[in-house]
Amino acid sequence: MFLMNLCVWLEATPVGVWVRESLWGFSGLVAVHILGLTLSVGMVVWFDLRLLGVSMRRVPVSTVYRRIMPWAFGGFASMFVTGSLLLTGFAASAYGNPYFRIKMAALLLAGVNALVYHTVTERQIAQWDRLPRPPSPARLAGLMSIVLWAIVIMAGRMVAYTLYSH
Amino acid sequence: MTALAPFLARVEASTLATTIGQSTLLNGLLSGIHLLGLTLIVGGVLVSSLRLLGVLLPDHPVAELTSASRRAIVAGLAISVTSGLLLLSPKAAIVPTNTIFQTKMLLLSAAVAFYFAIYRRAARGDAGTFLSPRLTGALGLALWTSVALAGCAFILLD
Repeated sequence: MFLMNLCVWLEATPVGVWVRESLWGFSGLVAVHILGLTLSVGMVVWFDLRLLGVSMRRVPVSTVYRRIMPWAFGGFASMFVTGSLLLTGFAASAYGNPYFRIKMAALLLAGVNALVYHTVTERQIAQWDRLPRPPSPARLAGLMSIVLWAIVIMAGRMVAYTLYSH
Repeated sequence: MTALAPFLARVEASTLATTIGQSTLLNGLLSGIHLLGLTLIVGGVLVSSLRLLGVLLPDHPVAELTSASRRAIVAGLAISVTSGLLLLSPKAAIVPTNTIFQTKMLLLSAAVAFYFAIYRRAARGDAGTFLSPRLTGALGLALWTSVALAGCAFILLD
């Protein structure tokens, strides 16, 4: 059980102990994690809605991506850093938590969805960049992103209710 | 505030409140829905405020860019308020005494009032609004960020 051993080791590191035992450290991390989430997912949704042909239909898809995503990436970075620190404090409990596993699986799928969009779907963007309603592979990528991030958020809240209160 | 006490006690004793209070799953799901609503609000406010500030896509008309985000803010508000009331119901008695919750409600009321009285008109691109578009965008962003921060403080320090 390499992963489980890693989780136990993480929890015992000084960072792990600090996350668990410092009230303000833990609260601050959760607050920044949630604010980072509203910034990143809140912004990514607008690119997804553009892919779906629902909003900003007169703005080229590539322009929406260029102007929206830097904000989302800022949110992702703060969410990733604070999430990793929080995980360090509760790694062993998180390992067996079903909601944490759902959250990680949805995150992974969101990553794969973005990768497929950038490596396959986006290749022909010149043909549909200005279309109000992009072709179905692009719309599917937008829909998948919204659904997967909603699962990440829901599962993340379930983790908060089932993991820390022990 | 004391006149509220019997009403809040009735809310707490209701079947709905006790069912929610006893279920970790229901609390988690409602909290997730509450956060989805907040994400919709923050995303909608960010897009429309950044456009009002002239930072995001300044070459495109305000009204066109914010038509969906205005709807997202109202939908997110409806989702968050409904799920928030349900989450609050098992511990309704805290309303008169919990200062963090009261601060959150005060900021929320200010943000909602500002949205419907001033912000929405500016985001529709109406001419002759009370404040300049930039100031409206900045104030909207600040108010909703403070609501989100107070929300974090409420769940973490309660």
